[in-house]
Amino acid sequence: MGPIITQLSESAIRLSGVTKAFAGHVAVRDLSLAIPRGSVFGLLGPNGAGKTTTLRMVMNILGADAGTIEILGRPADQATRDRIGYMPEERGLYPRMVVEEQLAFFATLKGVPRSEALRRVGPWLERVGLSEWRKRRLNELSKGMQQKVQFVATVLPDPEILILDEPLGGLDPVAADSMRDTLLDLRRQGRTLVLSSHQMETVERLCDSIALIDRGRKLLDGPVREVKARHGKNTVVLAFDGDGTFLAALPGVQKVTDFGRYVEIRLAEGSDPQSILGAAAARLRLSRFEIVEPSLHDIFVEEVTSHGVAAA
Amino acid sequence: MKRVFAVARREYLERVRSKAFLVSTILGPTLLAGFMIAPILLARQRGRPLHVAVLDASGGLGADVTQSLARRKVAGEQRFVVETAPEGPIDQTRAALQERMVRNDLDGYLFLAPDALERSAAEYYGKNVSNVMDLQLMDKAVEEALVSRRLAREGFDAERVRSLTRRVDLKRIRVTARGAREDRGASFILSLVLMMLLYTTLAIWGTAMMNGVIEEKTNRVVEVVVSSLPASRLFAGKLVGVGAAGLTQFVVWAACLAAISAAGAGGASAAGALPELSPPLLVAFVVFFLLGYFLYGAMYASIGAAVNTTQEAQSLVFLAMMPLILSVVFYPMVLAAPDSTVSVVLSLVPFFAPLLMFLRMTSVSPPAWQVGLSMLLMLAAIAVITWAAARIYRVGILMYGKRPTFPEIIRWVGRS
Repeated sequence: MGPIITQLSESAIRLSGVTKAFAGHVAVRDLSLAIPRGSVFGLLGPNGAGKTTTLRMVMNILGADAGTIEILGRPADQATRDRIGYMPEERGLYPRMVVEEQLAFFATLKGVPRSEALRRVGPWLERVGLSEWRKRRLNELSKGMQQKVQFVATVLPDPEILILDEPLGGLDPVAADSMRDTLLDLRRQGRTLVLSSHQMETVERLCDSIALIDRGRKLLDGPVREVKARHGKNTVVLAFDGDGTFLAALPGVQKVTDFGRYVEIRLAEGSDPQSILGAAAARLRLSRFEIVEPSLHDIFVEEVTSHGVAAA
Repeated sequence: MKRVFAVARREYLERVRSKAFLVSTILGPTLLAGFMIAPILLARQRGRPLHVAVLDASGGLGADVTQSLARRKVAGEQRFVVETAPEGPIDQTRAALQERMVRNDLDGYLFLAPDALERSAAEYYGKNVSNVMDLQLMDKAVEEALVSRRLAREGFDAERVRSLTRRVDLKRIRVTARGAREDRGASFILSLVLMMLLYTTLAIWGTAMMNGVIEEKTNRVVEVVVSSLPASRLFAGKLVGVGAAGLTQFVVWAACLAAISAAGAGGASAAGALPELSPPLLVAFVVFFLLGYFLYGAMYASIGAAVNTTQEAQSLVFLAMMPLILSVVFYPMVLAAPDSTVSVVLSLVPFFAPLLMFLRMTSVSPPAWQVGLSMLLMLAAIAVITWAAARIYRVGILMYGKRPTFPEIIRWVGRS
């Protein structure tokens, strides 16, 4: 049976028509997602979009009002959930508990025998540079070190799927870089990573595929490359000397965003970037001209606006 | 099951290893021993005998009173050093005695007025007139002297009358299924001590349970935990773990109590004041503690789950404290009439049973069916309350922000 199931289920996690309402408002509405195995999946959207509620339903912290959730090809239950490591956005550990004990405790909750869990503590702590803190109480550690302990607690049971809510939130640049390396490492080992974030740019570069959600609804999903291709190469980056205020008035220009040292010009569908180049070169001294993919942020804004119009 | 055990293990170790636990576990028996031993030691501390003078204006009573006072003994020692005031004008003598009192040469003097015998009255002038025990003794000494004098005047033999009218010694013997034994108030004190122990441990460990839940919420650790096991199992594990810690403390205390009463037996056995701490009673004690703990622990835990901070919990804690306080309020009533219908009914109510049924067990021996029924009712109540509490817990632990109202909490119970 095992191999057949593996073949049939390309999805690590599959949600079909999942809905969750709290008193007064719908947090997640008819959400369907397929998270491919062995990839990095980004669940993106602004605060309050329903990301955390969705992840909580996957972990059975909240029960779904409607819809089904499958994990590794089987209906979600305790056994399948044991194969998921979950790090919530609101980090939490026991402040007075010794690091080693803490890690062993969370591993036993995932069904790992205590002795085995204790064996794994050493290598992991070494990897994140906390070996000498093994016997210390958590509240003796700095915030950054506590974050690392939290991460180790998530990966120690050796889960096939990792769900990390805002994985880079609250990390300094150096720690964020090393976290990125660790995540890519885990992906190389064939694990599925689900990253949820409201800061789309920071996660975007890590993801193979994404889903954008807003106000409980999915706006779009798919491999990042496809998503971007779908939205066309209709953005031009322009750096120049002189007064560029006339650019917004050029035919075919939808929007100009000024970043100070350069501007980003969004073109209307069907207009030719070459015509912009010509018009700009005639009046400005250009130092850079580039046709780029739209950022996820732009795609998101565009989708929200178009859906908003549709909804209204 | 393994995971419930893991949660229980963590709770147990965290509590047992805490300083608060060590302090209260050791301090508890120390204080208890202090309360039991201190009065005995204090009672022995009587200070030096009182130095009193007898100023006799009655003509003739003085010698009897002096003798009677000199006979008063406490713990084998004479309590009064008596002297007779010199003869002379009364006012002058009084002044002289008062001067000696000021000089600390005298503790006081007893004045017998000329009509002391007729009025049956005397006056004591002392530096200290609030030493009740000594003054009672003095009162009795003077009374005996006066009564003897009157009896003699009527032609009776004072010694003979005294022996004929001596007080009755009413022994109190408690009869139980296990036999009869004399009881000089020890079983009352025992039930009182055990009751207070039960009350404090229930209140302390219930609160500990509640604070643990609030803390997990504040630390946000609870979300990580319930992503691995259902909230109801986390709840079960916490109840078991905290309960085990409470039981540990309890066993230490019980052992100390047994040691104290055993040690006390050495000195007190002559008086026959050894409390009756039979094994069945001890077992009942532990059983009622555990049942009571699960009942109250579940209530406290659901309060903890419903609120965000300890401050917010205060108003709701009242709900859990109320039955416990009521049990203490009913205590004297049940003690006075342990077998009355009201007492029987009260002791069967699950919330009161841990304290009141146990009290009845220490005073009378209630029929086995009543004890059994109260335990059954408690188990039923525990089942209902833990079921509701687990639901409140599941909804509440992920709720932050506004404190829910009581009706809202009730609604959570109905939610799937």
